[in-house]
Amino acid sequence: MKRMGLRRRDFLATSVVGGGLAFTIAPASAERAPLAQGPWAVDGDGGVEMHAWISIAPDDTVTIRVPNPEVGNGVATQVAMNVCEELQCDWSKVKLEFASVRRDYLENGIYTVGRQPMFSGHGTDPERMPMALQLGAAAREKLQRAAALRWKVWQDEVDAKDGVLIHRPTGRTLRFGEVAAEAANLLVYNEPNLKSQAEWTFLGKASPPKLTAPAIANGTAVYGIDVKLPKMVHAALKQCPVHGGKLKSHDPKAVLGMPGVRAVVVVDPAKTRGTPKAFTNPIGQAIMLTTAQSGVAVIADHYWQAKQALDALPVEWDLGPGGKFPTEKAVYAQGVAALDKGQGQVVRARGDIGALKGGKVIEATYATPWCENAAMEPLNGTAMVTADKVEMWLPAQDQHQAQWVAVDETGLPPDKVEHHQTLVGGAFGRRTMADDVRMVVAVAKEYPGVPVKVIWSREETMAQGRFRTPIVSRFRATLDDKGALVGWKAHTVQGGYIYGLQSFEDIPYVVSGGIPNAEISNTILPYHVLTGAYRGPVYNSHSFMVESLIDECAHAAKVDPVEYRVKLLGKWDPAWIECLRVAAAKADWGKPLPKGEGRGIAIANWPNAGIRKNGTTVCCVVHAAVSPKGDLSVKRVDVTFDCGRVANRDAAAAQLEGAVIFGLNAAINEEITLQDGAVVETNFDRYPMIRIGDAPPVINIHFDALSGDDRFQPVGECAVGPVQAALANAIFQATGKRLRQTPFRKAKLGWA
Amino acid sequence: MAEITLKVNGEVKSLDVDPTTPLLWVLRDHLGMTGTKFGCGIAQCGACTVHLNGDAVRSCSVAAKDVSGAEVVTIEALAENGGAPLQKLWVEMNVAQCGYCQAGMLMAASAMLKHSPKPTDDDIDALVSNICRCGTYPRVRAAIHKAVGMMASKGTAV
Repeated sequence: MKRMGLRRRDFLATSVVGGGLAFTIAPASAERAPLAQGPWAVDGDGGVEMHAWISIAPDDTVTIRVPNPEVGNGVATQVAMNVCEELQCDWSKVKLEFASVRRDYLENGIYTVGRQPMFSGHGTDPERMPMALQLGAAAREKLQRAAALRWKVWQDEVDAKDGVLIHRPTGRTLRFGEVAAEAANLLVYNEPNLKSQAEWTFLGKASPPKLTAPAIANGTAVYGIDVKLPKMVHAALKQCPVHGGKLKSHDPKAVLGMPGVRAVVVVDPAKTRGTPKAFTNPIGQAIMLTTAQSGVAVIADHYWQAKQALDALPVEWDLGPGGKFPTEKAVYAQGVAALDKGQGQVVRARGDIGALKGGKVIEATYATPWCENAAMEPLNGTAMVTADKVEMWLPAQDQHQAQWVAVDETGLPPDKVEHHQTLVGGAFGRRTMADDVRMVVAVAKEYPGVPVKVIWSREETMAQGRFRTPIVSRFRATLDDKGALVGWKAHTVQGGYIYGLQSFEDIPYVVSGGIPNAEISNTILPYHVLTGAYRGPVYNSHSFMVESLIDECAHAAKVDPVEYRVKLLGKWDPAWIECLRVAAAKADWGKPLPKGEGRGIAIANWPNAGIRKNGTTVCCVVHAAVSPKGDLSVKRVDVTFDCGRVANRDAAAAQLEGAVIFGLNAAINEEITLQDGAVVETNFDRYPMIRIGDAPPVINIHFDALSGDDRFQPVGECAVGPVQAALANAIFQATGKRLRQTPFRKAKLGWA
Repeated sequence: MAEITLKVNGEVKSLDVDPTTPLLWVLRDHLGMTGTKFGCGIAQCGACTVHLNGDAVRSCSVAAKDVSGAEVVTIEALAENGGAPLQKLWVEMNVAQCGYCQAGMLMAASAMLKHSPKPTDDDIDALVSNICRCGTYPRVRAAIHKAVGMMASKGTAV
């Protein structure tokens, strides 16, 4: 690999310490160290700093400060692996910490590199990965130089391996920890060259478990909800059950006498103080903020006391316009009405769809509902607000966003916001809205001076989801005499406002010219229900729809669904065809199955379907069985994918396995419905989830279709979309029933 | 408020709590043992699973008054209560993703193995019914089967 283009920060190696500010190495302040222990970075711990990202202790512990929160996808471990490859430290002595966003601010973006710099993803981001490698190389160079000075030998005679420095001619050794203090103060005059990828010994070769795994297995891992602080109080929160509604009245006196209750506080969006500063990270990328919701919280010594009092608190809401919304069925009715009007905004056009005459026409309407992210850790967070400071301990999904939300909510300047990143008990996009951060700070600022831990009950978490946006789409596909797709008209009606129809218009079948005539349009309908990101936003609906319809076309043309897609993709990135071919071969495609069983295939790419050699292409084959009575089970899933190259195979496999199950749950189980504008499914008794007995007994992740193209694209989201279509296509094979709306559990599948 | 005495991870604890407080919150808020997780509060998800007198229970739905005199084991002491091999496999096989549900998974799996050292897949389906949103089920099952195999070859408990 070439030396990274040092875009912002010249000479990592030659700077004495990190980011220009002299950074004092001092013990952590006694005030908070004993109780507030967690995975966040603590100033001055971990030995001496080679750089803001890397400290080395005398006992050889290498502390790597990772900017990216860990939500379960392994991003933090990946970034640490990137550093370790060039540093040549002993992986068993690596300690992970989450970098401080305040330090990032004070030191001019010392942790800010790549796309969404302090977000919980993109560990192999094309800018961040070289940066981490370069930091590792720079630190190693200093260590080698320190050893050379100690031994009075030439530096190029000193090797580094597994945390040990070796003088090649004499075999003398020094441990990293023995020279780290000297190394930290050295100037190195040339930025070291990086190894080529072929020379890597760790990345792409080793598959270590996540660095967080031991603490998770022994119960010491600290998630947001686990933070313990001196004088901390607990808050139970309730927001208006209809999104957008307001608190009309409440009676604190009714609960203030209950055990442990200290206060009842109101969150009023009008009290957001705002800030004149722009909401950007240190390299000017905009940060999305959402507003506070009207709510009320009870603060008590313990959470259970707060929850009991909140449940007993008399509250009246002004439900607002959303309260007049009858049920979710109106969404579908309004969606279909908008489709019938047929006037969407055209986002892509090709050829002349209007001139098509004759041929076989397939018209179909597909729909997917609101869905909830349902991360296992309920929304929560802890904050202490004083007149001149905010300190927070959060399971944030984006640290920059958390910082700016606190700035906006309190009106304090960014350097007065200190955030300590905890582990995150699942996110799947839910924590990207940062409404949770906002509410935590808004509650804490009403009870200043002590840390306030705010916990959403599961019911509150689900009622206040930022749901997957509902989508209703109508397609008109035209096949010529030979069954080839010659026309593709798609009109999509989408509710909600956060995510646009990203990648809906960029299906390769159209972009490549495989379908010569196309018109893709959309309409946005505003609903009061708040929406947000849901693992593979919008894509998770769109690939279900598109890949189901392609299957309909294949059957109409009486062509095998694999061959039909291969032909359609003839002008496209050959890696797609490879994914299809390998998946079909691995999954015994075409091998006869008993009655009531079927295989379905689907292919898609996240996040850049419309660009060759980009994103991750993934193909799923689902083998499903439907009993005569209509009980559905998934017997096996085979997955091929092309993300270019893979840095940690087992980590990639884990993400793909998880995404398959996530997608199956979306397809089979998930739907948020409404009654009088409020969410009906507020806990798992009404929002069914796949459990171990429902999960496919076999999920095969195949690495055989990797193209080897020089990119390391993320794999966590890509499978969520196509696995849904592959299941629908398998059900069609098994029963002849075409499912065009999720969740499938509501469909009658019996065939006896 | 009521005085409750129970044994947690081998230590006798006496507490003055509202007797309706769920065991989950006794552990987390009153005893500061946060390894046991809050997931749903209605015994659906199993994130809060602990061993109560040797059986796996969902601690969000057991009141403090009903555990007076009982013996509770939590994830913090699973290793000393025979769970170390299972925990080691959990790490080696990279079972956890976000990890939030895994304390409950481990407590459910270890209780199952104590009672039925050779579980069938149906046993696993019935007794490790915890929700994992990350979708770690294939690895949970594989780790349990591996542990069973190790127990069989070594003749030891997990």
